[in-house]
Amino acid sequence: MTARFETPLDSWIGRATCDLSLDSAAQVRAEIVEHFESARETAIVAGTNAADADRAALAALGDARAVNCQYRKVLLTSAEAKMLREGNWEARAVCARPWLKTLMQAIPAIPLAVTFVMLSRGEAAGARLPFLASLALFMFLAGPFLPVYTTWRGRVYRAAKWAALIAVFVLAFGADSLKYFWLIASCLWIPIWTEATRMSIRRKLPVAQWPKQLYL
Amino acid sequence: MNFKGTLPTLILQALAEEPSHGYRIAQRIKARSKGVLDFKEGTLYPALHKLENEGLVASYEGVEQGRTRRYYRITKSGKAVLTKDRSEWRELSRAVTLILEEA
Repeated sequence: MTARFETPLDSWIGRATCDLSLDSAAQVRAEIVEHFESARETAIVAGTNAADADRAALAALGDARAVNCQYRKVLLTSAEAKMLREGNWEARAVCARPWLKTLMQAIPAIPLAVTFVMLSRGEAAGARLPFLASLALFMFLAGPFLPVYTTWRGRVYRAAKWAALIAVFVLAFGADSLKYFWLIASCLWIPIWTEATRMSIRRKLPVAQWPKQLYL
Repeated sequence: MNFKGTLPTLILQALAEEPSHGYRIAQRIKARSKGVLDFKEGTLYPALHKLENEGLVASYEGVEQGRTRRYYRITKSGKAVLTKDRSEWRELSRAVTLILEEA
C-alpha cells in the first residue's frame, strides 16, 4: 500500500473543486496546475528559491473557498451533472416504449373527457376541476412531444407551463389560494427545484450542448 | 485596489490585444496597471469560463515551449461588449472625476 503525499497545491485544488462535477474538477485542476507552474517558473527565473516560489505562486491564487464559490456559478456541480446524466430517463423510457408514449399523450384526455361529460350533464361548477387537471397534465406530459427544441420556443413553453400551473392552482383554490400557498409550495417543490437546477445548467452550458430536457 | 466587477472587461481588453493563456492575461493586467490592480489569480479562471459561457471569448489548445496550454481569444460579440464597456467606463470615470474635483 502506498500513501499519497498531498501537496499544498493539491489541497488548494481540493478545496477549490469541492462539489464540482468530475469533468469540471479535472478542468479546474488542469488550468490551475498550468497557472501554478508558470508562476513558479517565472519566480525561479527571477532568482527566487523553489520553496519560496511555490509559496508565492500558491498565495497568488488566493482563497480556495472564494474561488470555489465562483467556480460553482460557472461550471457544472456534481448535482447538476447527475441531473444531466440521469434526468432524462423518463424520455428514454418513453422513447423505448411506443405504447407508453401513446398512454402519456392520452392521460390529459381522460380528465378532459370527464369535463365534457360533466358539462353535458349541466354540472359546470364541478367540471372546473377535471378541466384544470387536464390542462396541468397536458403542460407537463405533452412538453417532450411539442416542437419546443429551440432557445426561444423552449422559453415560451416554460413560461406557458408555469403560467398554466399557477393559473390551475389559483382557479382551483379561488380566493383561498394565498391561504393554501404552503400546500402549493410543498406540492411543487420538486418541479421548482428541477426548474432552478435546469436554469443554472442552461447558464453554464453553451446552447449547442443542451440535451432535450433543458428546453422543457 | 478593489476592482470588483471590472475584471471581465480587463480580460476582454487583454484578449483584444492578442489571444493568450490565463497566466499571461493575469500578468498583463497587473503590468499594464503598474501593479495597482493586484487581484487573486484564482478568480481569473471562473471569470474566463463565464465569458466563454456567454460566447464573448473562445478557447483552444495551443503549445508554448513544448507545453500544451489553453488559450483564449476574444469573439466578435466579445469585441462589441468591450466597445460598449469602454464607452460606459469613460462616461462613469468622467462623471466621478467631475464630482471629486468639485470637492
